[in-house]
Amino acid sequence: MDELLFQDIDEPGLNTIEVYERRGGYETLKKALRELDGEQVLAELQASGVRGRGGAGFAMGTKAGFLPKGTMDKYLCCNADESEPGTFKDRELMQKNPHQLVEGIILASYAAGINKAFIYIRGEYDAQASILEAAVREAYEHGHLGENIHGSGFGVSLVVHRGAGAYICGEETALLDSLEGKRGNPRLKPPFPANAGLFQGPTLINNVETLSNVSHIVKHGGEWYAKIGTEKSTGTKLVSVSGCVQRPGNYEIELGIPAREIIFGLAGGPLPGREIKAWFPGGSSSPLLTPDEFDLPYDFDSIAGAGSMLGSGAIIVIDDSVSIVDVALRTASFYKHESCGKCTPCREGTNWTTKMLQRVADGDATPMDLDLIAGVQQQIMGNCLCVLGDAMAMPVSSMVNKFRDEFEAHLEAARASRTPLADAPAKLDLVGGLVPGVIA
Amino acid sequence: MNDDVKRDEATARAGDVADQSGKSSVGETVRPGEDNVVTDQAAVAIEEPRLQYQSPFTVVDALPPGYTKKPAGEPERKIISFTIDGAEVRAPEGIMLVDAAKYGGVEIPVFCYEPKLGAPVGACRMCLVEIEGIPKLQTACSTPVRDGMAVITKSPRVIEAQNGVVEFILLNHPLDCPVCDKGGECPLQDISYGWGSGKSRTTEPKRHFEKPVALSDGIAIDRERCILCYRCVRFSQEVSEDYQLVLLDRGAGAHVGTFDGSQYIAPFSGNVIELCPVGALTSRAYRFRARPWDIEQGGSVCTLCPAQCNVSYTVRDDKVMRTLARDNNAVDDGWLCDKGRFAYQAWESEARITTPLVRQGDKLLPARWDHALDVAAAALKKSGERTAALAGGATTNEEAWLLRRLMLEGLNSPHIDSRRGGKLSLDVARTLTQPALTVSVPDIEWADAVLVLDSEPVDDMPILDLRLRKGVRRNGMKLAIATPRPSSLDANTALVARYAPGYAGAFAQAVQAELDGSGDVDDYAARAGADAADVRAVAALLKGAERPVILWSERMLYTTAGAAPAQALCNIADRLGVGEREGAGLMQIPIQANGRGLREVGFLPNIGPGLTDGQPGRTGMSSDEIAAALGSDISALITVNVDPIVEYPNGRTWAAALAKAPTVIAFSTWLDPATALHADVVFPAEVGPEKEGTVTHPDGRIQRLRQTVERAGEVNAGWWVVGELAKRLGLDLGVKIANQATAQIAAGVPIYEGITTTEIGGTGVRWQERGAASNLPAPDATTFLLEAPPAAPQPNGRLRLGDFKSLWSGGEVVNAATLRALASGPRRVELSPVDGHRLGVASGDTVTLKTESGELSALVALRDAVPAGAAFLMTDERDGNEALRAALAGAPELIEVVK
Amino acid sequence: MSVPREVTRHEDAIPQLADVNVPDELKTWIEQRMAMYPDPKSATIPCLMQAQKLHGWLSPDAVRQVAAVMRVTPAYLVSVASFYDMFELQERGRHTIYMCTNISCMLRGADAVMAELEAAVGVSDGDVSDDGIFLRRFECLGACDIAPMASVDGVYVGPLTVDDAKQLVEDLRAERDVLPAKHLTKRPVAATFWSGGAPAGSGAGEA
Ligand SMILES: Cc1cc2nc3c(=O)[nH]c(=O)nc-3n(C[C@H](O)[C@H](O)[C@H](O)COP(=O)(O)O)c2cc1C
Ligand code: SF4
Ligand code: FES
Repeated sequence: MDELLFQDIDEPGLNTIEVYERRGGYETLKKALRELDGEQVLAELQASGVRGRGGAGFAMGTKAGFLPKGTMDKYLCCNADESEPGTFKDRELMQKNPHQLVEGIILASYAAGINKAFIYIRGEYDAQASILEAAVREAYEHGHLGENIHGSGFGVSLVVHRGAGAYICGEETALLDSLEGKRGNPRLKPPFPANAGLFQGPTLINNVETLSNVSHIVKHGGEWYAKIGTEKSTGTKLVSVSGCVQRPGNYEIELGIPAREIIFGLAGGPLPGREIKAWFPGGSSSPLLTPDEFDLPYDFDSIAGAGSMLGSGAIIVIDDSVSIVDVALRTASFYKHESCGKCTPCREGTNWTTKMLQRVADGDATPMDLDLIAGVQQQIMGNCLCVLGDAMAMPVSSMVNKFRDEFEAHLEAARASRTPLADAPAKLDLVGGLVPGVIA
Repeated sequence: MNDDVKRDEATARAGDVADQSGKSSVGETVRPGEDNVVTDQAAVAIEEPRLQYQSPFTVVDALPPGYTKKPAGEPERKIISFTIDGAEVRAPEGIMLVDAAKYGGVEIPVFCYEPKLGAPVGACRMCLVEIEGIPKLQTACSTPVRDGMAVITKSPRVIEAQNGVVEFILLNHPLDCPVCDKGGECPLQDISYGWGSGKSRTTEPKRHFEKPVALSDGIAIDRERCILCYRCVRFSQEVSEDYQLVLLDRGAGAHVGTFDGSQYIAPFSGNVIELCPVGALTSRAYRFRARPWDIEQGGSVCTLCPAQCNVSYTVRDDKVMRTLARDNNAVDDGWLCDKGRFAYQAWESEARITTPLVRQGDKLLPARWDHALDVAAAALKKSGERTAALAGGATTNEEAWLLRRLMLEGLNSPHIDSRRGGKLSLDVARTLTQPALTVSVPDIEWADAVLVLDSEPVDDMPILDLRLRKGVRRNGMKLAIATPRPSSLDANTALVARYAPGYAGAFAQAVQAELDGSGDVDDYAARAGADAADVRAVAALLKGAERPVILWSERMLYTTAGAAPAQALCNIADRLGVGEREGAGLMQIPIQANGRGLREVGFLPNIGPGLTDGQPGRTGMSSDEIAAALGSDISALITVNVDPIVEYPNGRTWAAALAKAPTVIAFSTWLDPATALHADVVFPAEVGPEKEGTVTHPDGRIQRLRQTVERAGEVNAGWWVVGELAKRLGLDLGVKIANQATAQIAAGVPIYEGITTTEIGGTGVRWQERGAASNLPAPDATTFLLEAPPAAPQPNGRLRLGDFKSLWSGGEVVNAATLRALASGPRRVELSPVDGHRLGVASGDTVTLKTESGELSALVALRDAVPAGAAFLMTDERDGNEALRAALAGAPELIEVVK
Repeated sequence: MSVPREVTRHEDAIPQLADVNVPDELKTWIEQRMAMYPDPKSATIPCLMQAQKLHGWLSPDAVRQVAAVMRVTPAYLVSVASFYDMFELQERGRHTIYMCTNISCMLRGADAVMAELEAAVGVSDGDVSDDGIFLRRFECLGACDIAPMASVDGVYVGPLTVDDAKQLVEDLRAERDVLPAKHLTKRPVAATFWSGGAPAGSGAGEA
């Protein structure tokens, strides 16, 4: 397979407009503006079948087609919040080939009749945000952004907006609130962003990787793109492989190759002397898979078929030196820390689950607690305002169910080694706050 | 995250449950009685819903309480039918399922849902229900009902989810119900009882916070009890828009608080106490004072300002323990300002007058009723037709009616007034009172364009401020604010216009000129000290609207421009054709709480009851004529709930006049300057919960005050006192109970003809919507030819002086423990930073304001939004500063500010 | 008429520019940033971040300054700020170390590195040392390819060994470039990096 997004990704200076343009960058934009109308660009995106790379895997062209037609302020938000544990592909794209993203944003805006675009980038990506800002500046200077781009009558503005550290802001409606200068709480849907999103205007939200694909799709045509990958998972995918492998990193693959090829072939398999015990196929929100499932084709539907999800395409590999109890606790406490707190099941459920898993890890629990943990996950799933609650409940429940033996063994070992007197008194969980003063 | 995966899973689950629910809806659901199901095909009117369980937060009815008809601007809703737990129910299309369910007698539990707070947030997840065809459970609070929908609220899956949410909510709740003020009236208790599983599975330690801390002088917050339903912070951000009570931190650590531990001080802060569905926000004044089973509620109307919000007093042992809002959407939308909420404390304070007082030398000494009445009657008898009377504030229609009779029939004196200067032109009064030209409060909410002229609603009629914010935020209202001083509503407006203090009339004439070419807009705008572009924009906004509304302050009638400002308003109403448009019109914001009622029962020197002609040849003196005649043509003055020294603009004149008055008889709650210095006899006045009678809202709604507690000390009813005085003058007013006075009004005020307290009921009735409205005499003229308005003086280095009276003023504020700290501290003057810089003064500096007629000192507050060239002085009616009042009277003077 | 607008009434709820001493550069920065959005409130997070950079943390004064220029209440701003991990509502040092301890880094030994950092800085998670180094555990920073990793004053470094932790703190104390050889930005994509012969699992602490 030829690399698409990663083509010559490490060419020195690719992040500058000079090198990007020398390599033919922005030619697709100019050509499209000259020869195609927005509807035609949209048709190519729809023909490509490209599905969102941010997690939900929704077909991008379809989503762009939901935006109402007609002249009004319409918005595009590029989701560069990349905070799903194990995911780091967007970072690479933005740092090394920012113009590929910028060109994609302009083309997508053209396709959906959008006139104002934003890149919402997580605040921690300081270096990448600066690179993007420079790229946007250059694109303005070269007339690719602004009003009446290349005399086409079409115009779009682009602002790089930095977040400030909150995983939930990757959720598309929380992103909108955050971009409006508020706390990043998810919104109720409906209305969907395509109808009432940013500033209540029609809004298209797409991931960095999704948008980085756009110039390639427009350049070669949607049909060409649709031939890459599988029928329902077209194109290439950047996979972030991390954890207990020899060669962690981002790899561009054709969707549908066996997971084994990624984990063993590209990432070099387990560390010397170790064996893989489990793997997250799509970030820490995806239910764990086991070595039995190495031969699954790595595409949206096959992974979903196995009861997990491709998510953001982040494979985290866990080997036999690691206790699943620790992984479960770390996972739960991440979601507890990141829950926005708006809805009850997630706010309370992630907190409760973490407390229970902490007791399990401390050996201060019984197998009945494992049942309770599993039950609480059921109580969360499907009942929250957004899917962050599920994002904890799904993997945690997969761990407790698939690795029940390991949990029980852990508890048994703890019980055996404990002297009753070692029991610590319950800790008070005192949350501070700014208070005007105690009432006498 | 892969939504598809979950969708698949969910679909699978939904499949299972669909089967179960099919069974359950027959087997387990309590099927409402046949008569609950509206089957009448033709009926568009909705049957009264039957409630199994009265929600503590919301009551759904075809029309909200107080509404007699749907406001013109509010969209129509079709009636559709859907099924809930198998029973067919009819409800207005598009209302949320939670509300629609009530039409079928089904209660769906809610915590975060409160329609008064705006769009639902779907946060608490208490209201999850199953909807056929949708895999996931849905929040009934945010799902609009559609025709043919099938809703299930009692399937095992829904019950499991409800139990789950209750369990989650109680995880961190301290369950300290025995010592919680909310206990017994707590939605959390009710919902845990009704929808919880009854058992707890957690063994983890709960979240801990410092137990109750003070959020302000009025409110305590116990964050351990908080269930994070967001109601209070949504109120602060989306209703009162003060943005001071906020959520801090996130996730399980989220809690409600303020900036840097500062107090939550905002005009409407107390509403969060009532909104809180648990005992997290409690009234510090009410804490530990009563349990729900010790108390009774008594409904009445707050008479501290023209807004006349409906209240419910909580009474224990004949004492008011707290004041709650009594939802009347047509008046207050269910909110109260903090003054109304905490004023009851003042009525128990030492400062209140609770016995009759009679002057002995320079002292006012307590006296027996008989003695006080005899002294007063003797003086009145002596002065006879040389007696005058002023009524103000919360004087009821009945008190005014009886006092009017006492004056006319007992003393043969027509010198009565309820206004603060000049005489009201009969034509103007009749024109502006015409039902077709006036709007109701709900009309305001649904108007597409509103102009607020010369008023700061939050100070003049606080609840109106919330209504306007709601209109803008939720109904797409375009708001224009035309005031000299920056307004708290500026941020919500489509446009803002400023003019010189005191020149609202010139501004109105400029707007008229733009509408009909009756003058040179640029010239008129310049005379008003306004920007001509602003004038044009205001005119364009009103003209372009379908339902334009103008809210104007009565203050506009008391300038040197005389009747012209009001005539300009009549002209504007005519040019906009508001008379022909439903939902369009004008509303006066009176200065006094019952200003409209006093006018309409005829407490005026020149106009009779119901705006009939005054008695021929018997025109009385207006209040300023009375002031001039005191000590000569007038020898006795009766004041009811009004202190002319501090309340009237020409206070200095009044102070001098009162000193010359042989007799002053005051009905008063507080020892205000006029009472303290000049009254010979003082009758203690009743306060809100002690009163029986009626008042008239600025939109014409006649509302009833009902006595809920015994009068304090030796206080007697105002109507009784007037009756006793009359008796001593040989006149029988024929009133043995308050209701008889109301009956006299019903017979004697043509536009109120036939009104009864029964008809007024709990939510009042607008007289314009009754048949007797046709008794309003037609004016001879409805439009007026006007001369060019007077021109505001040019500052030329000096400053134009304007004044404002804060909401936080008056005896009720100064004497209520909770409010005292808010009372206007040292006198302050607001300057623009430009002038501050020029004068070399900063906020907090003391400056001297010099006018032609005197000087006074004030603390500087620099405010970014104050226009350069103007200064605004906070006038505290308590300080009765005469020099200042003189400076502000009529056309305000220019002042010099000296460091 | 164009007038400064306030979101609230209470006289003291929004600080008046005339009363708050806002540094000119901050005021200009905020005004420019507000002009970049259809609704100026969108600038809240960037403006708070700019104030934090200037003051070292979001002190009440810093918040008041932003509030006065943006014409919002300070309460609104702290409500927003306290939602996000990168805002510091308590005084912090000159240097900040975010040590990632999320799953991927944990799998490669982040806890041991964190322990070493705590020892080297001399504080525990969430505290500031006397010489102004603020150390805290952080959620996944999006660089699991160099796990275990940390963000030091915004610069990503990794993979970190226990020895690197010591070096990192030394570099910081000496006010020099931290672990220059381990900057993420200098690393080619995985395929190139690994074919370049770098040893597998280089530097990774065994999980
Ligand atoms: C809790 C949560 C976190 C998410 N984080 C991200 C993220 O960091 N980046 C991203 O692109 N999408 C994220 N998503 C998915 C977005 O909501 C949204 O589906 C995506 O940005 C759409 O873009 P796409 O269609 O191009 O994938 C997240 C979703 C959830 C529920
Ligand atoms: S599921 Fe969690 S993150 Fe999503 S809205 Fe609810 S509390 Fe917030
Ligand atoms: S009442 Fe519906 S989610 Fe709270």
